[in-house]
Amino acid sequence: MTDFLNYRHFPVYSVMALFLGGFLIIVLGNKKVLRNILAVLSVSVSLACMLALIKPVMIDGEIITYWLGNRSIAGGYAIGIALEVDALSLFFGLLISTAVFVSCIYSIQYMANDRNVSQYYTLFLMLSGGVIGLVLSGDIFNMFIMVEILTFAAVALTAFRNEAFGALEAAFKYLVVGCMGSTCILTGTIMLYAQAHTLNFAQLSALIPGNITTSGKIAFALLIVGFATKAFLVPFHPLAADAHGAAPAPVSVLISGVLTKSGIYGIIRLTYFLFQTISQSSFRLLLVTVGSVSMFVCVTMALAQHDFKRLLAFHSISQIGYVLTAVGLCSALGFSAGIYHAMNHTLFKGLLFLTAGAVLHETGTTNLDDLGGLSKKMPFTTALFLIGAFSISGIPPFNGFASKWMIYQACYQKAVETGHFGYLLVTIICLVTSILTLASFVKVSQSVFFGRLPEKYEGVKEVPFGMRFAMGIFAVLCIVTGLFPDLVGKYLTHPASAAAFNANAYIDAAFGEGYASSMLGPFASAAQDVVFDTAGVWSPVSWLILMMIALIAVTIAAVSGKYEKCSAAPEEVTDPKHELFFGGEKNRFSQVGGSDLFWGFKYNWRHYFSGMHDLHSGVLNDYALWAVVALALAMFFMLIVL
Amino acid sequence: MSVIISTLMYLGFILIFPGFLFCFFCGMLLCGIERKIVARMQKRVGPPILQPWYDFFKLCGKETIIPTAANKKVFLFAPVIGLAALVVIQLFIPVFGFTAFSGNADIIVILYLLLVPALAEIFGASASGSPYAGIGLSREMVTIISCELPLVLVLLAVGKAVGNAVGTGVCFSLQTIAEYQIEKGSLIKQFSMIPAAAAFLLVIPGEIGSHPFDTAEAETEICEGMLAEYSGPPLAINKLSHAVKMFTMTSLFCALFLGGLGVGIMTVDALIVLGLSIIITVCVVALINAATARLKIEQLFKYYWTFVSGLAALSLILAWFGL
Amino acid sequence: MFNKTIIESAARSPWIFHINGGSCNGCDIEIVSVLTPRYDAERVGFKLVGSPKHADIAVVTGPITKQSLPRVLRTLEQIPEPRCIVTCGSCPQSGNVFRGSYSIAGPLSKYVHVDVDIAGCAPKPEAIIDGLLLAAKILAEKKRTGSSEVQIQNPFAPAREKEKGENE
Repeated sequence: MTDFLNYRHFPVYSVMALFLGGFLIIVLGNKKVLRNILAVLSVSVSLACMLALIKPVMIDGEIITYWLGNRSIAGGYAIGIALEVDALSLFFGLLISTAVFVSCIYSIQYMANDRNVSQYYTLFLMLSGGVIGLVLSGDIFNMFIMVEILTFAAVALTAFRNEAFGALEAAFKYLVVGCMGSTCILTGTIMLYAQAHTLNFAQLSALIPGNITTSGKIAFALLIVGFATKAFLVPFHPLAADAHGAAPAPVSVLISGVLTKSGIYGIIRLTYFLFQTISQSSFRLLLVTVGSVSMFVCVTMALAQHDFKRLLAFHSISQIGYVLTAVGLCSALGFSAGIYHAMNHTLFKGLLFLTAGAVLHETGTTNLDDLGGLSKKMPFTTALFLIGAFSISGIPPFNGFASKWMIYQACYQKAVETGHFGYLLVTIICLVTSILTLASFVKVSQSVFFGRLPEKYEGVKEVPFGMRFAMGIFAVLCIVTGLFPDLVGKYLTHPASAAAFNANAYIDAAFGEGYASSMLGPFASAAQDVVFDTAGVWSPVSWLILMMIALIAVTIAAVSGKYEKCSAAPEEVTDPKHELFFGGEKNRFSQVGGSDLFWGFKYNWRHYFSGMHDLHSGVLNDYALWAVVALALAMFFMLIVL
Repeated sequence: MSVIISTLMYLGFILIFPGFLFCFFCGMLLCGIERKIVARMQKRVGPPILQPWYDFFKLCGKETIIPTAANKKVFLFAPVIGLAALVVIQLFIPVFGFTAFSGNADIIVILYLLLVPALAEIFGASASGSPYAGIGLSREMVTIISCELPLVLVLLAVGKAVGNAVGTGVCFSLQTIAEYQIEKGSLIKQFSMIPAAAAFLLVIPGEIGSHPFDTAEAETEICEGMLAEYSGPPLAINKLSHAVKMFTMTSLFCALFLGGLGVGIMTVDALIVLGLSIIITVCVVALINAATARLKIEQLFKYYWTFVSGLAALSLILAWFGL
Repeated sequence: MFNKTIIESAARSPWIFHINGGSCNGCDIEIVSVLTPRYDAERVGFKLVGSPKHADIAVVTGPITKQSLPRVLRTLEQIPEPRCIVTCGSCPQSGNVFRGSYSIAGPLSKYVHVDVDIAGCAPKPEAIIDGLLLAAKILAEKKRTGSSEVQIQNPFAPAREKEKGENE
């Protein structure tokens, strides 16, 4: 009986809880309270299992191998399905289950007025279970299964509000290109199986790296492109924009914060473990190039958007570009910075999507040109939006800055170490992208939360408590992870990156000590000494203390000078004194926001923007063609360069 | 006992030197000198040096009008946060050998901390609801983007040059940069750093928004832009922040390029920094201010991303090859 | 503690906002010339600002046409206390040559309390500076007493009469 609570079972519980919850909800039908309780219960169980694993996996450094049905190794080959949880899997599992937990809480009130909510929860839990299953799986075919589950759940959820304009179109686009990605993954898996006669990830990692054949290279290209589709990297980014624009906000949180992470996780597993191609500088350069192109293209695309959620969608790919760039550097600092940023991205982008959802819930639109001045009606949402916006734009002391700062350091260190000019360029792109991100969030804040309140939104209220609570969790996490990067590093990112640089331990955990070195031979890399030195210093806590003292000093001076005692206008005052200055004219509604902003910048880049406009035609055929071209290029690269 | 003394000492650092009092004094002095020099260049007598203080105190005594359309809290407290953030930046910038808090942040952090006061102003303006403020903040954001690229290149060049010399490859720590310059002399003496220093000097007027880069608060066309709705004490704090920002930028220049000129005595060092700041203000801010007319925003962007960034990139390339 | 400084500063840094109430631009040009090198009003702290919310002194020119009246009044209202309203030129005082016209709503003093009148068509820059300095004095007085209507003797008046006598 006690064995039932052994932590070794926890990984499978966390996957099972979600799938079981989804199943039960559809069976029990439309009992409102019961279904909400079931949904929250299953995500809580999943989160609790993940949290309970921190101690053994992150701190003690154990790697849990769990053979389903107790079918393990026979004759040197793995027969059964394995779940293998090392620090890297657990890291992604943790951030995924946190995001799932929060967005499930948010869904309760957000989706309360929709039709077919039980189907929604089923799909929601299927999607979550799929992603968690993907990151915990130790078996490449199992990974494919999970990819299929999550892709179809995500497609269905995208079209969930199918009465909304564009929802079906978005879902269809996503379905087509997502299926192309899944097919790539399946084909790659088959080719690997043909070569190595095993599907177990650990065993493949032991057999493949020393023996990459031509078919192995093609398989690698297929798998990489497949997972890139899941992460929506350039050139698959237009799908994300459509999908996010149409999907309900909690689903956007999952697609952006969770689903893209599964793609990144897949790429990490492939490059650091299965093929170990990350050790080749040309391949590193490929990853960094794709990362920085995604980063830059998507941030400029975001600047040109008119819709809150589409803008956020492009930003999420831009941030994924940061993650990929940092991970592709293949330095300990870069890797830990990358996954730290992945975590932060889940938190702040989750927060931002939820605030977008709150705006949609209250006003019924997310069009930047229509909104304005909501901060007076929704102060709490505005405060949380600002926290999210500062985090994503890398303003100290929020979490986005902490991780981006590490990425800058890692990039520049890599540039100086290798003397490669490309990395220098990447560093500059990273730094400039950050400021462009800030610009687009200034745009959002001016056109949605500040500025003038249109008359039709006079009746808008703050969102209900459940939604505020969910957003609050994300906001608190954003601040905490930003203020204590050392603690995050010690308990989360450093163990995870140590795990990534120690593929042998992963293999040995499943197949016994010494298996990796015997199979890999000269390719077996010894466990590297992982150092996290940075060239600079940043201690957010001391900044915060100084800032607090300075703020208190200024505030005392201001209050003692009767700063507050001013002629504050009550809400309804309409005397000319408290009107805005309109050059003497009577006040009328005038909002500068949405597409009016940043003219000087857009003008200078007009050729670029019009080129981008032409490229993003919105026609599925084009996007499918891009996917094919990307696959062809990847194969070409793998065959010729690698 | 020693805890109390050190606490008092650090409080002194925050409140007197190099914190509040010193910043305010220097910022206002630079502002006064700048106005005086501009007037002299236009063959005018010009206002007294103390004019910024008069303006500040007068504004403190004025009524504050908060528009009905504004979000009161953000509108009132954004300037306070901006000023506090600016003073904290000043604490991180070393004054030659005096590096009380410099160990807590590096130049990349400074680059992003400099955004906090600008953002405070932007959000304060945004909260006022005025369309003039909306146009102003749009232009201010474009100005920030414009200045960012040259600043990034300059900081990377400095990091590389110092890193080369120290032997760690790359060095962003302000403390190390200060110590290195005390040991080996100012960075500006290095051939490769001269274009970077020039680029940084050209960025200063853009960052503080003086002519010809004051597009964001063009008083003749968009009614002072972001400040359009401010009046009374909040406006006074905004003006004070502008003055302090001038000193922040000049002292950052001193810390990055002119380190090592100090003598090791705190008061004398402070005076030297002040003197150098005045020279920089006169040469860069005042002379350019008096000699030019306002640029259009797209010209401003183009200027910074081509000419100034080109200078900074030249320096980065020189530093890259260890020249 | 700072109260005395604030009152003193009020006289030393008067910021001007210029309102045109249908003027022929003659006075406007003269106001601008006050800030030029020849007269340099900035040496006593004058500054033209772009928003009425920053201003201390509103300088109104023109005969206050019916079209401009609500705009002028609204803008004057938006200037924070303590404030001074100065009319520049004869038009806002009396209507000047436009007096009696169907389209004129002036003089300004019918609607608001005017602190200083600067006469002339157009007034000389010296006269404008004189009037503005008087307005600055009134500003400080208003700050000190806290009232919005203050009368003070023009301290420059005797000197000017003497000058006149010499000229004769």
